[in-house]
Order: sequence, then C-alpha cells, then structure tokens
Amino acid sequence: MSSADLLNDLTVRPHPDDALCLQAVTAGYGSQPVFDRLSLQLQCGRIVGVLGPNGAGKTTLLRLVLGLLAPVSGTVAVLGRELRNDADRAWARLRIGYVPQIQSPTALPITVADSVLLGRWGRSFRFLKRPSREDREVVHETLALVGIAELAERDLATLSGGQRQRAALARALVRRPRLLLMDEPTTYLDREAQRELVHLIERLHQRLHITTLVVTHGLEAGWRFDRTVRLSGGGLDD
Amino acid sequence: MTEALELLSIPVIRHAFLGMLIAGATLSTLGVVIVSLHLMALRFTLMHVGLLGAAAGMSLGFSATAGAFVLVPTASVLMGTLGQRFRFTASSMTGFFMTGSLAGAFLLLARAGVPAMDVFGIFAGNILMLTRVDVVMVGVLGAVVVLAFVVGYREIQAVLLDRDLALALGVPVEAVIAGMFLLLGAAVAIALRLVGALLVDAIILLPGIAALRFARGFGSALLLSSLFGTIACVGGFVVALQFDLPIGASAAAVSSGLLGVSALVTRGKGRS
Ligand SMILES: Nc1ncnc2c1ncn2[C@@H]1O[C@H](COP(=O)(O)OP(=O)(O)OP(=O)(O)O)[C@@H](O)[C@H]1O
Ligand SMILES: [Mg+2]
Repeated sequence: MSSADLLNDLTVRPHPDDALCLQAVTAGYGSQPVFDRLSLQLQCGRIVGVLGPNGAGKTTLLRLVLGLLAPVSGTVAVLGRELRNDADRAWARLRIGYVPQIQSPTALPITVADSVLLGRWGRSFRFLKRPSREDREVVHETLALVGIAELAERDLATLSGGQRQRAALARALVRRPRLLLMDEPTTYLDREAQRELVHLIERLHQRLHITTLVVTHGLEAGWRFDRTVRLSGGGLDD
Repeated sequence: MTEALELLSIPVIRHAFLGMLIAGATLSTLGVVIVSLHLMALRFTLMHVGLLGAAAGMSLGFSATAGAFVLVPTASVLMGTLGQRFRFTASSMTGFFMTGSLAGAFLLLARAGVPAMDVFGIFAGNILMLTRVDVVMVGVLGAVVVLAFVVGYREIQAVLLDRDLALALGVPVEAVIAGMFLLLGAAVAIALRLVGALLVDAIILLPGIAALRFARGFGSALLLSSLFGTIACVGGFVVALQFDLPIGASAAAVSSGLLGVSALVTRGKGRS
C-alpha cells in the first residue's frame, strides 16, 4: 500500500444523511441529567467544534454518539441510523474513529504500532482472525501520515504528550472512519505542539472530508471550525 | 544429574516437578494482567477467599482444596462483574470480600468444630501430596491460559490499554474482564495447592513484574514472564532437592532473587 492509496482509501465521499442527529435527548448519570432535551444536527463533511467549560457535558455527548451511554429519552442517530439496539451501536462504532480525552500512561507495555493496530479491531480482525499484512501496512502508512513513522516500535508509554495524541489520531484513522470524534486533543500540549496538531487535523480534514467533531474548552489553539456549538447548563447554542 | 533423573522416577517428585514446571511457564503470564489492571489487592483477597473455601470444604465434608477450588474462581468473577456493574473500584470490592470471607471462615470453623490448624494448612501448600489428577488440572488450566492469550490477544490488549477505548471499538469488554478474573481465580486456587497462600505471588506475580521491567510490547511481556516463571519454579525445585529445602519457599526465593536482579539491571528505566 502506498501513501496515495491510503489517502484514497481514507477519503469519504459526499453523503446525503446527517452525520449526527440528536433529537430532544435527555441523558445523564443516575438521577442528575446532564442534557435536558438537547437537539443537534450535523451535516456530513464538516469540521465542528464543541465548546464548553469543565463539566458541561462534552465527553458525555461523545459517549452518547458512541452508544456508551443510553439516553433516558429522545433519539440519537449516527450517519442516518438510529441507535436502538446493540446491532445499531456495533454498526456505528465500526464507522467512528474516537480519540479519547487524556491518554494517561498505561501500565501495559505496548508498541506504538500495536496500539494503532487496535483501531482496526472489528473492521478487519477480531478474536480468531489475526491482523493481516495489509493491516500492518495501513498502520505504517497512517503513522507516516500523522508524522510519527519513526516511533512505530517505541513503547507507547515513553512518548511525549503530542506524540501520544498523534498515535491516538492514527488509531482512530486506521478504522477508515466516516465520523471522527476527538475529546480535547490539545490539552497538555504546549503552544507550539497545539498549533502543529490543529494544523495537522485541519489538513487531514481538508484532504479526507471525514466529518470531524472536536471537543475543546477554548479556541486558543487556533482552531478554524466550519461551525461551533457551545454546551452549557444542559443546553446548546450555535 | 543421573541422581536427579533417578529422583524424577519417584511419582511424588515427578508430580511436584511437572506441577511447578507447568505453573511456572503458564500461570506466571497472568502477572502482566494483574499489574496492568491494577489488581494487586485482588489476588491478595483471593488468598483469603481460599481460606473461606477451605473452611467451607472441610465443614461440608469435602477437602479444603475442593472448597478453595470452587470458591476462589467464583469470588473472582463476582468481584470483576459486580465491580463493573455497581461502579466500585477493584480495591473497594476487595475490601468487602477480604473481610467478608475471613468472617465467614471463622464463623464456619466455630460452628463446624473443624480444627483451625487443618484449615490453615492451606497457607503452607502441599506440593509433595500432588496427585496425578492435580497435575492434570494444572496442565488443563495452563493450556486454557495460553489459549486465552492466543485467541484473545488483541482483545485483552485493548482492554488492558484503555477500557473506554475498547468499548468504543466494540470489544466485548465485560466478557474479557470476566474471563481474566476467572483465570486469575483458578490460578490462585492452583497456586494455593502448589506453594501455599503465602507464596502464591512467587508464581503469579513476581515473574510478571520482572518481565514488565524489560518488555517493550505485550507479547514480549508475556513471553518473558513465562520464562522468568519457569526459571523460578524449576530453579526453586532443583535448589530444594539439592539442599533438602521446602520446594515452595525455594521457588519463592528464586523468584524474588530474579525480580531483584531485574530491578538492578533495569534501574532508571523500569515501569512497574
Ligand atoms: N461516570 C459518571 N458518573 C456520574 N457523573 C458523571 C460521570 N461522568 C461525568 N459525570 C458528570 O456529568 C457532567 C458532565 O461531565 P462530562 O465529563 O461530560 O463533562 P466535560 O464537558 O467533558 O468536562 P471536562 O472539560 O472536564 O472534560 C459532570 O457534572 C460530571 O460530574
Ligand atoms: Mg471531558
């Protein structure tokens, strides 16, 4: 696989459905709702910023989209398919690349390449089916795409914050996602590294047209989104 | 050398040797899981549950070992699943189970009139009483552990790396965790039989910690812990025969020595 093949492979064609559609969603933990009848519609192909202070529910929104949290009432639809049962959620998870908040160092020794390979789980291998040579090639090309090819065999725990975010981005990309969710990708990075990462993400978005949702608590890092939504007090403003 | 081979022709010695060899080579890999999932307190609790199992087994008229064998894996799986369902951390769960099982053990003993010393025998292990059936059980568990790592290699890796991420990828996280807890419980029960409660760590923890000092990837961590576990168990066995010492204690001594040396060799760059 060449890098041109990879770029073609990753590129998302235009799609008429909404990437995301939440209707009157009430959701939270225990009896305390985080969202009260929240509605949100996102067109395919955009890069959208979700802003809000600590505790506003940014991560909770992503958990709803991933089907990790079920709404108390209302509906969540991903790429035109409403998440009603396990099959819907599995379907959605196959099409979503997720970069979680804070990649805390892990006690598990794992090479960067192996950690990225995990992004292919469910897509091209699972349980008895082992990763193929093509999977490994995709991992290598993608590491090159995010600029850390030379770190492939390093232990993930020994990477710097910025390098770790790039590895997490690569792991999300090897899934060939239609929708990319990133939870505060620039926290813990210095100004320079923040700007570089923002630039990388914007460049990838322009080239690949993957619908991208970036959670962040501010715009200081130099983000230029197609649209920004602000979460606060259980509701949302554009 | 010939003398050693002659010793191995004695069934009791042969069983002990095979038991230690298999346990050392296979169960030791679980140490990597214990460290990565922060389950230090869990395996300590399981030893106490073993005591309750022994007490229950003896009061019900079975053997202490049979009781431990049923109860330890059951408790382990319960702790894993209850912990997830009720959002307890593993360490809070262990507090509950540790005290609960000790209380249960003492109450049972008082009621049934079993001599406490018999139950506490489980702390010492009894490797020279290993029967052929015991050796087969060690072999079966060892095979299951290896199979689990072969079949579920990527899934286990994903869960150990980041549970939320694994969920988002669609990995059946609950099943993987329940499986790991079940294997851990079974391994602790077997190790109780081999080296006794106090030395379980020599087999299922220390080799894993030593391996994590060197390993850069998951696969190498598993292979190294298996290698260290084998050295500790076989080495301990040979030392014990040579100097006429207890086998469990000798294996524990070799295991601790190995960890000490690994710590020295890798000082300044280790991770565990
Ligand atoms: N597992 C949980 N159990 C109970 N409450 C939770 C849980 N996770 C989050 N909450 C609560 O839900 C609310 C929203 O949390 P969320 O993590 O979505 O905020 P956030 O906007 O991502 O904040 P941050 O910027 O700090 O990451 C907070 O009040 C938080 O305390
Ligand atoms: Mg958050």
